[in-house]
Amino acid sequence: MSGRQRIVPTSVEELASVLATHHRDRRPLAVEGGNTLRGMLPPDHESDTLVTTALAGVLAFAPDDLAVAAQAGISLRALGATLAQRGQFIPFDAPQRADATLGGTLAAGWNGPRRHRYGRPRDFVMGTTIVLADGTVAAAGGMVPKNVSGYDMSKLYVGSCGTLGVLVRANLKTLPLAQRSRAFIAPLPEYTRERAIARLRESPVEPAAALWIEGFHKEIEGTDGPEGRLFLLIEGSDSFVERASRDVRTEMGKAGVPETYVVDGAVTERFERVIDALAATIGERSVTYRVSGDPAAIGTRASRMLDVAARCEMRGEAIGDVMNGDVYVRCTDADTRSFAAKAPMLDDAMHDDEPAARIVACDHPVRAKLNVWGQPPGTLDLMRRVKAHFDPAGILNPHRYVGAI
Amino acid sequence: MLHQQLVEALGAEAVKTAPEDLSVYAFDAYSSGTLPSAVVLPETTRDVARIVRIARACEEPLIARGAGTGLCGGAIPARGGVVVSFARMHRVLDLDLSRRRAHVQPGLVNLDLSKAVSMHGLFYAPDPASQKTSTIGGNIATNAGGPHCLSYGTTVNHVCALEVVDASGEVFRTDVDDAGYDLTGVLVGSEGTLGIVTSAWVRLTRLPESVRVWLAAFGDIDSASAAVSAIIAAGIVPTALEMMDRVIVTAVEAAFCAGYPTDAGAVLLIEHAGYEDDMNTLEAAVAQIAREHGALSWRAARSASERDALWAGRKGAAGATGRISPNYYTQDVCVPRSALPAALRAVGDAAARHHLTVGNVFHAGDGNLHPLLMYDRRDPKQVAAVIETGNEILQTAVDLGGTVSGEHGIGYEKREAMTRVYSTDDLATMARVREVFDPARMLNPEKIFPSGVRCPELR
Ligand SMILES: Cc1cc2nc3c(=O)[nH]c(=O)nc-3n(C[C@H](O)[C@H](O)[C@H](O)COP(=O)(O)OP(=O)(O)OC[C@H]3O[C@@H](n4cnc5c(N)ncnc54)[C@H](O)[C@@H]3O)c2cc1C
Repeated sequence: MSGRQRIVPTSVEELASVLATHHRDRRPLAVEGGNTLRGMLPPDHESDTLVTTALAGVLAFAPDDLAVAAQAGISLRALGATLAQRGQFIPFDAPQRADATLGGTLAAGWNGPRRHRYGRPRDFVMGTTIVLADGTVAAAGGMVPKNVSGYDMSKLYVGSCGTLGVLVRANLKTLPLAQRSRAFIAPLPEYTRERAIARLRESPVEPAAALWIEGFHKEIEGTDGPEGRLFLLIEGSDSFVERASRDVRTEMGKAGVPETYVVDGAVTERFERVIDALAATIGERSVTYRVSGDPAAIGTRASRMLDVAARCEMRGEAIGDVMNGDVYVRCTDADTRSFAAKAPMLDDAMHDDEPAARIVACDHPVRAKLNVWGQPPGTLDLMRRVKAHFDPAGILNPHRYVGAI
Repeated sequence: MLHQQLVEALGAEAVKTAPEDLSVYAFDAYSSGTLPSAVVLPETTRDVARIVRIARACEEPLIARGAGTGLCGGAIPARGGVVVSFARMHRVLDLDLSRRRAHVQPGLVNLDLSKAVSMHGLFYAPDPASQKTSTIGGNIATNAGGPHCLSYGTTVNHVCALEVVDASGEVFRTDVDDAGYDLTGVLVGSEGTLGIVTSAWVRLTRLPESVRVWLAAFGDIDSASAAVSAIIAAGIVPTALEMMDRVIVTAVEAAFCAGYPTDAGAVLLIEHAGYEDDMNTLEAAVAQIAREHGALSWRAARSASERDALWAGRKGAAGATGRISPNYYTQDVCVPRSALPAALRAVGDAAARHHLTVGNVFHAGDGNLHPLLMYDRRDPKQVAAVIETGNEILQTAVDLGGTVSGEHGIGYEKREAMTRVYSTDDLATMARVREVFDPARMLNPEKIFPSGVRCPELR
C-alpha cells in the first residue's frame, strides 16, 4: 500500500483488518468521522485516513427501554431524527450535527451547554465496541443503564480522540423530549452582566442552557448591549415553561436588564446555531479558545481573554456558559497572512493568561504550530502509558493528542 | 518487619496486628476472606503513600476499605495483605458553594455529606440504601447507585476530581475537565484495583423545590413490573421507582409499621422531585398507568413525615429481612426495563425450584434487581441451593440482555461470572488498564478478573 489513502470500511471486519495491517506494518492512520473537528492537531502527511461514515446504521432502538445502539459513523442529525420519531433525544449539543458523527463526538469528548441539566455525553454511554490498534474488536459495558462489571472502559474511549482505538458502536441512554422549549434573548445594559449571571445561577428555575454572548452576530441572533447579550433556553412541560418565563423576566428585571425577548418559533434550530457558533471559524483567519472553570467567574475570565485578543490586535468575541463555566473566545484577524504571522504570539499570550486554554476551532494550517491542548495535566505520564498499552506501535492519530501522544 | 515499619511511620495506635483485631477485616457484608497481615488507619494522604511503599517493600498486597458494607467481597483480603481502613479520614475538607462541589476524604459516610451541606440548600445525590454507613470512598470504588440514581445518575456522574495514591506510593490528581484521557471515569468503579482514593471532589445538587412520594399496591409482582415498564415506556422518568414484593412488605411492616398494605403482592414506591408546576400532571399520568395495570390502591404522602415513613420502610428492608431469616444472600443484576416482568418470573421460578424463599426489593425503574435469597448458613444444602439459584439468576439476566452486576460490583464473588458477559478479548482489554496502573497486581488482587485473564503480549 502506498501512503495517504482514504479508506472507508463498510464493515467492522474490514475496519479491523485495515487496523491490523497498519499495526503490523507500523503505518500511521488518521481516524476521521464527519471531519468537523478543528481542534486537534492536524494529521501528518504520511498518514492514511480511515473514515467511519460508511458504518452509519442504527443497530437497535428500544424506545420502551430508553435505549439505542448505533454505529459510530451515523451523523448526530440522523440519530436524532430516529429518536425524535418516538419523542426521544440525546443532548449531545455538538456543533455541525448534520456532519458530526456519533463516534467522532464521543471520541472528541465534546461537552455542551445543557450538561448541568442532563449530564455529559459520556453519561449517556452504556456500552461501546471499539477496534483496537491491533485489530482486536472489544466490547465494553452493555445495554442497561446501570452496570458495574469491571472497568468502565467506555469512559476511557470517550475523549480519547481516536488514539486508543476506533469506536464502531455505542449503546446509549435516551431521554424523553421536553414538551416545549422557548428561547429568550436579552441585550445587557452597562453594569448588568455580573448581576444577570449571578441571578441566573441562583434562580429557582434553572434554564436548560444560559449563554452570555458578545459578538458572534453572524451566527447568533440578537443585538449586543454595552455588556453583550444573553441567550437562554427553557425546556419542560407547558406549565413549567410558562412559569419559568415569568421567573426569568423577573430575575432579569432585578438584575437591571429591561428587555427580554421571547422566541417561540424554531427554538431547536436557533439553539443549534448557538452550538455551531461555539466552534465556528471565520475562514482561515480565526482561532477559538475554550477554558472551563468557576461559572461565577465567566465574565471576568472572558474579559481577560478578550484583552489578550485586543493586545494582539485581533477582533475578540466571546461566549460564556453561565451554568457550566466554559468560556469560548474567538480571535479573528483582518486577513489570513497576518493571522498566520500573529497567531503564535496570540497563542503564547493566551496561555500565559489561561494555561489550560484549549483550541476548539482553527482552520489555518498554522494550527499545527499552536498549543492546541493547553498545558497538559499532571497525569501525562500515566496517559502516555495508557497509549503505549493500547497502541504500542503508535499508529492511531500519532502526535495529535495531549502532550503529543 | 512490616509491623515495625508501619508503627515507625504512623504510630502504634494507627496499626493493628492482633488476630482478634484483624478478624473483622476478613469480612465484608457478605463474604469472608483471609486474615490480613495488618490493618492500618491513615489520617492523611501522605500516610497512605507511606503505607503503600512499606507494603510494597514487604511484598504485601494492599486492600482499601471503607465501611465494609460491600456485598461481593470487594474489601476482603483474598490472600492476606495490608488493609488500609479509612475510618479516620472522614472529613469534609472544603466546600465550594459557587461551583457546588465538596472536597471530601474517602472515609466520610455518604449521608454525613448530605447532612453537612443541607443548610446551603444542597445535597449529595447518590444514595445507596447503605448510605447511613457506607463511605464516599467505597461508593466511588463501586460506582454505587441508589434509589434516586434513576434520574440523578450513579456515583460516577457526581465525581469531578480525585486524588489517588498509586501502586508505587505516588500521589496523582485527576479531573474530569482535564485535557486527555478521562482517568477519573475509569477509576470510579475500579474497586480499589487501580489506585487508592485519598480524597475526592464531588458534585452537590440543589435540593428540589418540590418532592412527592406515592405508593401503589398491586395484586402480584407481574402487574407491578408491567406497570414499571409502562411508566418508562411512556417517557416518564421519576426520581425514584422502587419495588417491594409481598415477602419484603410483610417483613418491613413487622419491623417498622411503615404503612405498606400487607395484603398486596407487590408495591411500588415512587418519588418525583422537581418543580411544583409539573407535579399534578405527573401524578395523574403515573396513577393512570398504575390503574391500567390493575393497581389495588394509590396513596400520596401528604407530609414530609409521611414521605419519610414510606422511605424508612424501603431503606430498612434489608434489616427487616434479617429478622425473618437467619441469613440472606443479595443478588444484584440489571436487565432492560421492558424485560422486568420476565426477569422477575424467572427469579421466582428459580427460587421455587430450589425450595428457597425469595424477597424482592429493588431499583425497578433502572431494571436493577435485588432478589434476597433466604437461607440458614448452618445447613449446607441450603447454602448450595442459594449458590445455584444465584447463578441461575445471573444467567437469566444475561439471557435477557442484561448484566451480572448493576451496582454492587464484581469483587471476589462474581469474578467468574464476568465471562458470561465479556469475551476473552473484552477482558484482556480491561487487563491492559490494570497493567498500566498496577503491573505487579498488588492493589486488591484476585478481584474483578476471572482466573486466567491476562493482558495480551504487546508488540
Ligand atoms: C443493607 C445494604 C444495602 C446496600 N444498598 C446498596 C445500594 O442501594 N446501592 C449500592 O450501590 N450498593 C449498596 N450496597 C453495597 C455497598 O454498600 C456499596 O457497595 C458501598 O458503596 C460500599 O461502601 P463501603 O464504604 O462499605 O466500601 P467497602 O465495602 O469497604 O469497600 C468496597 C470496595 O471499595 C474499595 N474501596 C473502599 N475505599 C476505597 C478507597 N478509598 N480507594 C479505593 N478503593 C476503595 C474496596 O477495596 C472494595 O473493593 C448495600 C449494602 C448493604 C449491606
